[in-house]
Amino acid sequence: MLPELEPLASKSLKTKKQTDEDSFIRGALGNRKFLSGLIILLAFTLLGILGPFIAPYSPYNTSFQSWLPPSSAHLLGTDYIGHDVYSWFVIGTGTSLFVGATVSLITTFLGTAVGLISGYYSGAIDNILMRTVDVLLIIPTFPLLVILAVYLPPTNTTTILILGMLSWPFMSRVIRSQVLTLKERPFVNAAKLSGYSGSKVLFKEIFPHLLPLIIINAVYVVVGAIVAQAGLAFFGLGDLSSVNWGTSLYWAQSSDAIVYNAWWWIVPPGLSIALIGIAANLFGTGLNEYVGQRSGEVR
Amino acid sequence: MITRKYLATRTSYAIVTAIIALIINFLLPRLVPGNPVYTILLTKYHYLPPNQIKLLESQFGLQNPSLWYQFQRYIIELFHGNLGISYYYYPSTVVNVIATHLPWTLYLLGTSTAISSLIGVIVGKYIGWHSGTRKETFVSALFMGLTSIPFFWIAVIFQLVFALYLTNLLPISGAFSVTLVPSFTAAFILSVIKHSILPIFTLVLVSFPGFSLTMRNTMVNQNREDYLTLAKAKGIPERLIVKNYAARNAVLPVATHIVLAFGYVVAGAFFVEVVFSYPGIGDALYVAVTSLDYPLVDGIFLMITLTVIIANFISDILYAYLDPRVELR
Repeated sequence: MLPELEPLASKSLKTKKQTDEDSFIRGALGNRKFLSGLIILLAFTLLGILGPFIAPYSPYNTSFQSWLPPSSAHLLGTDYIGHDVYSWFVIGTGTSLFVGATVSLITTFLGTAVGLISGYYSGAIDNILMRTVDVLLIIPTFPLLVILAVYLPPTNTTTILILGMLSWPFMSRVIRSQVLTLKERPFVNAAKLSGYSGSKVLFKEIFPHLLPLIIINAVYVVVGAIVAQAGLAFFGLGDLSSVNWGTSLYWAQSSDAIVYNAWWWIVPPGLSIALIGIAANLFGTGLNEYVGQRSGEVR
Repeated sequence: MITRKYLATRTSYAIVTAIIALIINFLLPRLVPGNPVYTILLTKYHYLPPNQIKLLESQFGLQNPSLWYQFQRYIIELFHGNLGISYYYYPSTVVNVIATHLPWTLYLLGTSTAISSLIGVIVGKYIGWHSGTRKETFVSALFMGLTSIPFFWIAVIFQLVFALYLTNLLPISGAFSVTLVPSFTAAFILSVIKHSILPIFTLVLVSFPGFSLTMRNTMVNQNREDYLTLAKAKGIPERLIVKNYAARNAVLPVATHIVLAFGYVVAGAFFVEVVFSYPGIGDALYVAVTSLDYPLVDGIFLMITLTVIIANFISDILYAYLDPRVELR
């Protein structure tokens, strides 16, 4: 009888957990801020993925006349050497989002790992990690970014690595302080008393409660990285031959697009960055509100 | 309250960070392949004059290949206020280049920070007191959106609008009219003020929402405090409660925010300078980056980093002094 009972029990547990997750997602979607933020973010992701397929021309095609205003042939006109701006924009969306997403992945991994370890195992490890974080947080990011980008080879990989390595300290702080409060909650003590190992408590009990916080921060980092990459490119740093929103603004600035009234070249990338920023904020605030409500209900 | 332990921790942080900055500043240029002397001579003369190589090598302290020797030289030169010679502005020294550009940046930063913190505190006080209302939710969301727009894009858009539609209303590049000679005349000062309106406005627009949101959050926290309940129970008019009770306590963290945002605003000022061709440190850094003027990049990095470290240190001390409740570590 026993061998049969085991899988049954774990199966029913799993389905219960799954319905929990379903209801969580459905509930969160009921939050209007979260939903609208999510829709905008998904729309940009879709544009980034489909970019190469919907672009009418190659972003390297310079056979058109320069400085053409928007028309049916060139939805967003052409730039100083006759690129089709629309093609450049939709393909650039993919690159910008890719940079943002990979930076966020590195940051989230490091930030969460350091935050979890530092918060859960207090003592010497916590001390060393948090002192390091303190020092890293004092160094101003932008000049450090600039000096690293000046000396390291100008590729997108370099940009991604620099941004990823520099943005985790803040996230680890956020995660750590949340772990510190979760650690004292009754369900964690119960898990400890029932003989769970340290790592099991950490990953099975504490980690799931951190997920909303991690997701919110990961989305913020995506936006921060897109802005930072665009800023570096605007300053003439990083791979300027790469097709993305930042390089688009760099070439517009350095070729005096304003003198040619080329608003069609300047507005789309900046507006997209602003829109993604607003979407991320809506997404984060909405999710935060929902999690707050939910924990209120549970209590 | 400032205890000796607190002071010691903060001082050690500042020192460790400064040492890290120095090491980065020293090591990075030397890890990169290529000889700066060759770079500068090739850009200057398009060939390598042998007598110039020796001269420049000794000026850059490269005659001895030992890293330790170079590090000692670097530290000694640093304490003599020598950051090397700029490639681009050759034969100007890096210190000279920084000194001529710095006043413009300080002017932009000082004015915009004063205006944006003032607006930020006033707006934040209002939306913080009315938190939870529909109007407040809208304004807060708007502000969060504003803070996520890149500085340089806003600057470019202003430039576009003032170049295209509001032509000749305000100058869109430079720090003063090129027909004027810098002097303390009314015409020159007026020209400087006019040229700085757009850069300052851009900086204020993107940085005041941050101040407002900080102020808002601390105002909301004040609302839960017992002393406010008591004040209300005593029948003190709401206007006075906000002014004399809540806002006074809520404004403290904003003071730290000003210093903490310093690094961010400095970066913002740099972008704004580049867009408006404003001759500050940001413009110099842009020139240095695009012309691969390594000594100038290094010098500016060191200057900003050390300034931010010192600003941070002062804010920590100031905060502990202003708010005795602050938890010390």
